Amino acid sequence: MPGFLQEHLRPLAGSAGLHLALLVVLAGVALRWTSSQPPVELAIEGYVVDAPPAVSRPIAQQRSTPPVTEPPPAAEQVKPPEPVKEPAPERRAEEAAAAERAAQADRERREAAERATRERDARLAQEKAAVEARRAEEAEAKRKQAAEDAARRKAQADEAKRKADEQAQAQREAKARSEREAELQRALAAEEDAAAVARSGVMDEYRALLVQTIERNWMRPPSARAGLQCTLYVSQAPGGTVTDVRLGPCNGDQAVRESITTAVYRASPLPAPRDPRAFERRLEIVFKPTE
Amino acid sequence: MQSIRAALRPRAALLLAAGALLLVAGPSQAQLRLDITQGVRDAVPIAVVPFGGQAEGAATDVAAVIANDLRMSGRFAPLERRDLASRPTSGAEIRYEDWRLLRSDFIVVGRVEPDGSGLAVSFELHNVRTGASLLAQRLPSSERGLRATAHRIAELVFERLTGIPGAFSTRIAYVAVDGRPPAQRYRLVVADADGYNPRTILESREPIMSPAWSPDGQNLAYVSFEGKTSAIYVQRLASGERRRVSARSGINGAPAWSPDGRRLALTLSRDGNLDLYTLELATQTLTRVTNDDAIDTEPEWSKDGRSLYFTSDRAGNAQVYRVALDAGRTAERVTFTNAYNARPRLSPDGKELAIVTLDRGGYRIGVMELATRNLRVLTDARQDESPSFAPNGAMVIYATRDKGRGSLAIVSADGSFQQRLSSDQGDVRDPAWQPFPPRG
Repeated sequence: MPGFLQEHLRPLAGSAGLHLALLVVLAGVALRWTSSQPPVELAIEGYVVDAPPAVSRPIAQQRSTPPVTEPPPAAEQVKPPEPVKEPAPERRAEEAAAAERAAQADRERREAAERATRERDARLAQEKAAVEARRAEEAEAKRKQAAEDAARRKAQADEAKRKADEQAQAQREAKARSEREAELQRALAAEEDAAAVARSGVMDEYRALLVQTIERNWMRPPSARAGLQCTLYVSQAPGGTVTDVRLGPCNGDQAVRESITTAVYRASPLPAPRDPRAFERRLEIVFKPTE
Repeated sequence: MQSIRAALRPRAALLLAAGALLLVAGPSQAQLRLDITQGVRDAVPIAVVPFGGQAEGAATDVAAVIANDLRMSGRFAPLERRDLASRPTSGAEIRYEDWRLLRSDFIVVGRVEPDGSGLAVSFELHNVRTGASLLAQRLPSSERGLRATAHRIAELVFERLTGIPGAFSTRIAYVAVDGRPPAQRYRLVVADADGYNPRTILESREPIMSPAWSPDGQNLAYVSFEGKTSAIYVQRLASGERRRVSARSGINGAPAWSPDGRRLALTLSRDGNLDLYTLELATQTLTRVTNDDAIDTEPEWSKDGRSLYFTSDRAGNAQVYRVALDAGRTAERVTFTNAYNARPRLSPDGKELAIVTLDRGGYRIGVMELATRNLRVLTDARQDESPSFAPNGAMVIYATRDKGRGSLAIVSADGSFQQRLSSDQGDVRDPAWQPFPPRG
């Protein structure tokens, strides 16, 4: 390996030197060239000057690219214009004039260089400002983004909460509804049950049985005539035992009231229905003789 | 979700509406409604417990008198004394369960106590089924007045439980015939409504007929043949004083008092055949009411005193007619149902006529509602006659024949109860029920 390095160091160094020289020339040309170019491209020069890694790049390129012996076509164009224009000094006056011209040119060069520096500084400042502006913009954008993100997150959270609340509410409503439904269904079922009992005729039978029993026990007084209408609200225990008799509206006399109340009590215990479902704890008994 | 909800909504709304209906209709919906249109006319079971302060076998058994009155009304079935569970004499001593077991609906308890120089009778009426106290009173009495006090208690109980006044304190007049022709003896008798305390106010070997009570219940008009021919007399009960008010030629019959008690309607044959007249008692002014070739008899005043109901055979057989007392009015027929209707007697409320009607081959007592002409036949014997309303309109007393012998019977105005009045007085006929004494 060291042998290989010693053996190839010279051409390698030569090649590198050549490249470097070429790069410097190119940079010089580019500098002059770019004086009329927009300042933005100046940034590229900075890269070249400040970037030592550029050395290694040609090395890496060497293996896949053609040999360095081939001069780049750009090298022929890079000719400093001044040596071509400058005439050879022949006299002192001419020398003095030439010196004067040289000084003038020098001044001009300096001024140009200063101008370029100023311009560059200005451009740099501008660039810096632009960068800072961009950074500020970016920061602003970031802040904005963050705010937006936060807002979005909050909105999302709110939305989620709202959704959750809504869902909970919906669930509560659904539960209440289903409870209501269930209750009504139960009522319906009970009603249907009652209806079924009614349809089966058991209810009518029960009613008839009760009416018959009470009529048999009603010792109707002579004052109980057609036109009489008296209501009793009667409660019975499951066994049919009359537990309470309350007099409702009644246009009958004392004797009638006594007789109907007595009739219900003396009919106790009241008969049971054939189907227990037909049993009704509370009875509304209306006494209204037809003649 | 939305669609389910939407689908649910109408049904839920319907269910809610149904629920609301249930709520609104609430109490009546939850109850079973029964319509009672009939009752029974069975006698109401009642226990009348022997009154305290009375020894067994007392001259006047207050409880027995009350029980008998109630039984006679036909509306009550007093418990037999031997079936009584216990002998409470005040409401506090009543054990309702015992009497319920005996299927008694009501119970009367009481006691006779000395009160100064006389007696006082306390009594209570309780509803056995409900345990309610319905009456509690203390009535002054005396040894002699104990029976009347008992009748009064029966009236109070009767009225409290039936809604109509009792008539157990009123009296009846009737004619009793003893012996066989030609050795007959006629007596005009006034007795308590239960047949007790008969008192003969006139006795004759000649027929006595058609006693009629004055509206104030103080006088009796009647027909007596004591002078061999018929004459109409008016006799004051309290004094026994009497006077002959009509002894015109021919028949003097069927006296009836006007509602104001100042006139008698009667039947006279002095102008040929039997026609109706009115007689002003104070002035002896006689006014002819009917003038018909047929027999017009048995007059009865309308409640307003402006017309007469009577029996006439002007249509071929006996029917009841009505004639206004204003001059020139023609009689209108009242009864149509059967081939024979006679002897009209007005109910105390003026709405019904009790009559003798030929019903399915028998002469029976019927009551016809004047407004509707509906006739209900109350009795079922073959020879019932002379109906007379009790002053409370609840019963009708009449004469009936049993194995050739006349007796008295009472039927409730609805025909549901009949009871023969036992009599050891031979042949009894022509009953008349005393009106309520004027109030105040």
